[in-house]
Amino acid sequence: MAADVTFELNGAPVTVAVEPHHTLREALRSLGMFSVHYGSDSGETGAAAVLYDGRLASSDVILAASAGGHRVTTVESLNVSPELHPVQTAFVAVGAFQSGYSAGAMILGTLALLEENPDPSEAEIRDMLSGILDRETAYVKPVEAVKRAAAVLRGEDTEPFAPLVLEPLTDGYRPAPADTGGDAPEAPHAVPRLVPSREVPDMAVVGKPEVKVDAVRLAKGNPAFTDDIEPRGMLYAKVLRSPHAHARILGIDDSAARAVDGVHAVLHYGNTPRVKYASGGQSWPNPHPYDQVSFDDRVRHVGDRVAAVAAETVEEAEEALRLIEVDYEVLPGVFDERFAMDPDAPRVHDEDDTTHICDPQRNLVHHIAAKRGDVDGNLAAAPHVFEQTFRVHQVQQCPIEPHISMAWLDSDERMVVRTATQVPFHTRRMLAPLIDMEIKDIRVIKPRIGGGFGAKQEMLIEDIVAHLAIATRRPVRLELDRAEEFFASRTRHPQTITYRTAVDDDGTLLAQDMSIIGNTGPYGTHGFTVQIVSGLRGLTSYNAASKRFDCHVVYTNIPVPGAYRGYGAPQAEFALEAHMEDIARALDLDPIEFKRRNWVKVGDEMDIAPHLGERAVAEEELDEYPKIMSSGIEECVAQGRREIGWHRRNDAVWKAPADRPNIRRGMGFAFCMHGTAIPFLDMGGCSIKLNDDGSFNMLIGATDLGTGADTVIGQIAAEVLGVPLDDIKVYSSDTDMTPFDTGAYASSTTYISGTAALRAAEAVRERLKARAAMLLEVDEPCTIELRDRRAYAADGRSVSLEEIALDSLHWQEQEQIMGTASHVSPDCPPPFAAQFAEVEVDVDTGQVTVTKLVMAVDCGVAINPVTASGQVEGGMIQALGYAHCEEIVLDDDGRMVNPSFGPYKIYRADEMPDTVVYLVQTMEDSGPFGAKAVAEIPKDGVAPAVRNAILDATGVAINDLPFTPERVWAALKAAQT
Amino acid sequence: MPLVTAYHRPSTLDEALDLLSSPERVALGGGTTLNADREPSDLEAVDLQALGLDAITAADGGWVRLGATATLDDVRRCDLLPDSLRDAARAEQPSTLRTLATVGGLVAKASAESLLLAGLLAHDCRVELAGGGSAAGPSESSLAELMAAGLPEGSLITAATVDPAGRTTVAATGRTPADVPIVAAYGRRTEGFVAMALTGVADHPVLVDVFDPTAGLDPAGDFRGGREYRLHLARTLTARAMEGLR
Repeated sequence: MAADVTFELNGAPVTVAVEPHHTLREALRSLGMFSVHYGSDSGETGAAAVLYDGRLASSDVILAASAGGHRVTTVESLNVSPELHPVQTAFVAVGAFQSGYSAGAMILGTLALLEENPDPSEAEIRDMLSGILDRETAYVKPVEAVKRAAAVLRGEDTEPFAPLVLEPLTDGYRPAPADTGGDAPEAPHAVPRLVPSREVPDMAVVGKPEVKVDAVRLAKGNPAFTDDIEPRGMLYAKVLRSPHAHARILGIDDSAARAVDGVHAVLHYGNTPRVKYASGGQSWPNPHPYDQVSFDDRVRHVGDRVAAVAAETVEEAEEALRLIEVDYEVLPGVFDERFAMDPDAPRVHDEDDTTHICDPQRNLVHHIAAKRGDVDGNLAAAPHVFEQTFRVHQVQQCPIEPHISMAWLDSDERMVVRTATQVPFHTRRMLAPLIDMEIKDIRVIKPRIGGGFGAKQEMLIEDIVAHLAIATRRPVRLELDRAEEFFASRTRHPQTITYRTAVDDDGTLLAQDMSIIGNTGPYGTHGFTVQIVSGLRGLTSYNAASKRFDCHVVYTNIPVPGAYRGYGAPQAEFALEAHMEDIARALDLDPIEFKRRNWVKVGDEMDIAPHLGERAVAEEELDEYPKIMSSGIEECVAQGRREIGWHRRNDAVWKAPADRPNIRRGMGFAFCMHGTAIPFLDMGGCSIKLNDDGSFNMLIGATDLGTGADTVIGQIAAEVLGVPLDDIKVYSSDTDMTPFDTGAYASSTTYISGTAALRAAEAVRERLKARAAMLLEVDEPCTIELRDRRAYAADGRSVSLEEIALDSLHWQEQEQIMGTASHVSPDCPPPFAAQFAEVEVDVDTGQVTVTKLVMAVDCGVAINPVTASGQVEGGMIQALGYAHCEEIVLDDDGRMVNPSFGPYKIYRADEMPDTVVYLVQTMEDSGPFGAKAVAEIPKDGVAPAVRNAILDATGVAINDLPFTPERVWAALKAAQT
Repeated sequence: MPLVTAYHRPSTLDEALDLLSSPERVALGGGTTLNADREPSDLEAVDLQALGLDAITAADGGWVRLGATATLDDVRRCDLLPDSLRDAARAEQPSTLRTLATVGGLVAKASAESLLLAGLLAHDCRVELAGGGSAAGPSESSLAELMAAGLPEGSLITAATVDPAGRTTVAATGRTPADVPIVAAYGRRTEGFVAMALTGVADHPVLVDVFDPTAGLDPAGDFRGGREYRLHLARTLTARAMEGLR
């Protein structure tokens, strides 16, 4: 029964009616405090943290009734004027927010900390942040923001936050003399180290550390995310999930569930059309097989969908779920990809309406093969052949905002889906047949997203809310809880990877033969393309006379793998860089020198690349192989070596500290090469129009997940149009309003959508020049230059963009100056990086402590060095979790035993290694203003660098992830016997 | 989370005990355990916040009395306690939860992995109880005995008292520096005596013989550490902690 509770909210008493089970988070959101976000029910994400009697506390675990008489503060308390509070300003200034999903908590924690201690130590800052899990920033810039806020509040002056510009250590092509670079530059870790290229001109907006276009919205906690609007009459959905890894549903009795007060619909296989689809958010036509339906009479993993309920309240929906009676015939499951093809393995798909499974009898979804050159001949003739097998495990993307969608029929009875997605246009297209509507009658709105990392490159729950909205004719909302996010969302593919490599006596690679068994779980989704990328990344980084890729993608009954930032590359590069390290050691060669001898360089062919991919071609169909056109890897290696202190690898005193006899230290290196978009496939569009005041609206289909894409694309347009970034108002994305974009994946947004923006802006620029020429009475518009919000003639006369706008919109020969463009690229210019790791290994316990990570990245021209470095910082720490501590653990029945943060361990602020990022500029002519990608490459090198550092420290090579204490201890023990 | 069907906020201990005499009612401290429980059972919450049990005070003989509803953040801030206990309180929960989690909740939960509980054990912790059918009024039990026997039905933890004296040290192994340790050893040396408490090797933290730390232990393994590994850590970390006490 609801009762009134009164507490002080942001300085004023409020009374709200709450049920006994309502949490303070729910009460606050009902009061319009939308800065308080859901991350989990148990409070460990901190996304819903508020000040509770002045102390930071997770409102998820506080009963609303308990809050009676207490003092509650949310970040809305600071929003008393258009200006930001100094703490908010500090976070904005250093780029501390990516998605900003937990912005409110961070700002409140800072306020409380600084009120108690105006000059906190870094340890105290990190302790304050320890309860706010951040999957995006690696806490590097948030820590800097707190320091900056403290300084400002103490009355100290602060410098504008900007990159530290460094002199290059190389000529850009040849290696630097070994370890002669001197000391690493001093600067806070949050400051990106920028090594400019002579080929890159200085620009007004591009290359500058511009504040993010959405910074104010995020800092103030304004309603921006999917859940931050509540359509009138909304129903709440919950999903009944399978308790079995594999079972046939013999029957469902939903009568008791339907009888629950407040329940409006119960959907399951018995009352939902059976339309086959593949849920991976990919371009048309989605790769086969189409092995899913909205609700099936078969469940294939613990957590698989069984039924969905829409009810007036979450509690009523949950009550209805408990009353659905399901008659299961439990079937045996298979979980390990190595056994999935055994003759006696249970068949995961035996239905007759799924086609294009390579060999359903063997659970073989795809067999992928590609080859160039005489691999067998080279292996047979080579003086040295090395073979190693690696196993990589299953992890989850862990966006702090779980999947959430809401759907309703609008006044024209069109389906509107507001959803946290990376792929709004794919979702619209894929949803249409499932709900028997035409694409034109569906509108997908992507609001602000609280992180995605690939998990939201999927049509995961949108069909459920749409089905329920049709069934009930009411708006319906579905949000996954944290456990569902782990076992009923998407994950990274486990793989077993074997390399055979032939090497000449001088260390030249002769052949690389890579085979993979990829575990795609119960559904194909991204199973084909992820393994393709593994092959691509695993076989194009190094030159060899011959190469072969052989991959079996198999069905199992594990939680469903899908897209995860890096998309098959982290798996492959772990195996590759470990394998190359071990070969170097076996041949008594320096690992970096050995890799350098073989890694691809400018002008080299990416020789197996065209034979892999969604549109693979045969050798005879090719005119030429794509080539490397830019690479800054030598500068990356030089800067990274200096920063990590690579020379200490040979320092026995450092490696075995006398005062800590159980500790061994080591350093590791990994060469990283990624891709930039999918050639001939990824496409983005952009539309720009001029407003009366000389500003511009820019509509893009690209989806900013917190990456800063809206900002970066805005900077590109601003540079072309000669205006500050603030004059570009970016809107993304809404399938009714914005141009098409394939979505945020494959490291494509800056390169593809940014080029679309560049071209759209160029089209606008041409019209602006023409109108300026008319106003200035200049004969040749091409002589006009745009800068500083004005159009200048060659003789120095000028007219403002506002004057041009007013003239063109209102005065003479009226027109809407606007430009639209789209872009698809034939190229896929690789970014390169040097990843270094420093570790301490406790040889008695196996505990590995990663003490420092350095990544030096050639991402072409960093359009915004602050957001770019933030991408690298966050990516590295996700990758560190993959290497070190994250794992989905299943019991013998396929049930996840650790579906919560803590048992599933992600790094928090008070345990981070030092993290330093270098941005090494190169000029990539095919990219907008020279840009390549930066989003995914930070995921590639940490695991092998840490593995190689452990090897350096202990002499023990470990070929399975993650490097948990017991695994390392067992390896150390085995090496002693 | 459980479905809380009714909320009570008693203002006296007697009222609280009376409410808790019904089996469907559960004591609510900070809520970090109760409200985070994923089992969807119905219950009534008896919120202890108005009982005045949140003080941390100096007690007789130099001991320190931790009120049951004092938060772990209060413990972290308490300068009556040794740094090792305050650090253990800090490590027990992240910043957003330790401001809510209570000493009473910590003791009632008796988590096998709790470093702070191990610290309390090593500091000779005594637990004050009310209710539980004792006609003699409040009772006191050692923390070790209480965790071994379980909380008497109908009883309520009102305080925990520790002796802060002595030298202390902690040795732990986890996946990452701030991870909940797989096994941890909290050692305390007082005049002529060493107390060593371990986590991760039994159903709850236990005091062990420093000369034979694995005697009688049969830890259940999990994905973070199997039985043999935990026993190995128990020996290794005990030895390290002893070294730290020298």
